[in-house]
Parts: sequence; C-alpha cells; structure tokens
Amino acid sequence: MSDRPTGIPPEAELASTGGFNKYIGPLYRLPDAEEGAVKRFAFAVADKHMNGAGTVHGGMLMSLADTAMSRTSRLASGARSCSTVSLNCDFVGPGKPGDTIEARVRVTRRSRTLVFLSAELVAGERTLLVATGLWRIAGEV
Amino acid sequence: MSAFPLPGFRETALVDPFEIFVGPIYEQGEPPARSFAFLVDERHVNMRGVIHGGMLMSFADAALGQAVWDATERAPSVTLNMQSQFLKPAKAGEVIQVKPELIRRTRSFVFMRGDFQVAGETVFAATSVWKLLGQD
Repeated sequence: MSDRPTGIPPEAELASTGGFNKYIGPLYRLPDAEEGAVKRFAFAVADKHMNGAGTVHGGMLMSLADTAMSRTSRLASGARSCSTVSLNCDFVGPGKPGDTIEARVRVTRRSRTLVFLSAELVAGERTLLVATGLWRIAGEV
Repeated sequence: MSAFPLPGFRETALVDPFEIFVGPIYEQGEPPARSFAFLVDERHVNMRGVIHGGMLMSFADAALGQAVWDATERAPSVTLNMQSQFLKPAKAGEVIQVKPELIRRTRSFVFMRGDFQVAGETVFAATSVWKLLGQD
C-alpha cells in the first residue's frame, strides 16, 4: 500500500479502523519482537500531533500507549475487550517532527481478571515515554 | 461556535495543534480558579462507544496544563509524569468537567491533580507533575 506515511514499513498492519484511534491516526501494528514477548505499535508524526513548542503533544503519546497496551491486553487474554484501570506515564524526552514513534509493550503478569503491562515509546534510539498500567479483562465478573 | 450544553462556559483559547484538533474545550471562572469542560462526541469514543482513554488523558493534560499556567504566570513548563485512574466509562453526549487542584508549587515543579466528573460523579482522576523550564 503506497498510501502509508513515510517511516511506516510495508509489513505494518493498520490498527486504527474507527473512532478516536482513526481520528488521531493512522496507527499501525508492527511485527512482534523478542519471539512474541514484545508487541509493537507505531504512528508517523504529523502536524496535528504537535504542541505549541513544536514537539509531540503528551496526550498523543499517552493515546498511543493506551491503545498499544489495551491491544496487548486483548492479545494476552484472548478477551474481545479490555478496559484501562490505571496508567502511569513518565515523559522522558520529546517526540519531534519526522519521527516514527513506536510503542513496545510487555506483559508483566496476567491473572484471571487483570493484565499488568509495561511499555516504552521510542523514536529510533531515543526513549520518549515509559509507562506501566493495569487492565481489566472485560467479560469477567 | 457550536452550542455547548452548559450555561456560563466560554471556549478556552488553545495553542497546541493537538488540543485544537481534539477540542474544543470550555471554561468558567477566572484564573487561578478556572474549571474546564468538554462535550464527548463521536470523534472521542472507541469501538465500544465509550470515551477512549487517550482522549481523557489528553483533556487532562490540557486542563491541568491550563491550571499550571494560572499558577505560574504562564511560565513555560512540560509534563514530567501523569498518573491516571479510569473509574467509570463516559459516553458520547456527556459533558466531562474538572476543577484542577494545585497540590504544591516549588521553584522548579508544579504538582497538580483533578477529579473529572460527569453530572457530579467522578469518572476519571489524574495527578501530574510539571517541570518549569529554565529552573533546576
């Protein structure tokens, strides 16, 4: 598909088909790393993602973290939907115009009703954000 | 300007392109006691029809950032950390309101929090730490 933004590789799958993710996207899923232990998601920075200082807005970084960690919760649990209970984000460095920003997500622990996750958002060699969060597996009582 | 369902609110002047893109947001009161609100619409929801966590956190970053401005005479600052708790889903058509609370301001940091409510019920809570630029 030639309509992909620069920086998104051909093997990426579109991960934003509707709603808020489509509005702020496109967001993509990239092939897993570390034999499936790391799930990867990405977007290419566009003008709409910026703040007034010319770096990527924290809300956009947290939105990618939330989407990537929610999807990973679903992949880890097999549930059709998972909802965010809590999310802690440290803003380590700025995202810049031209960046492709990638979320790398790991499952820390999965119980019957909960998934504990950690994520790192990177642009090339630069770390932009680190996050930990807790997801509830929907459909569980 | 589109009709906003809460009387007494005015549109907040936003600077950041991302906030303008996901906004508008509204405010009432005067600095440093402004409260903020936005109307959840179809752009903000996920496939289950409830507000996306990313939008809640984006609104929180915008509203708490406005409150940091009020507390610092609009000194330049950046978000260092944000902790978010998702308590109850909100749906399109609902209005989410927050009155940010200044926890503490030091020479180089501002600690801010907010309870985000729909019709008086808290659906989301956030605490953020801000770094004032140029201060060690």
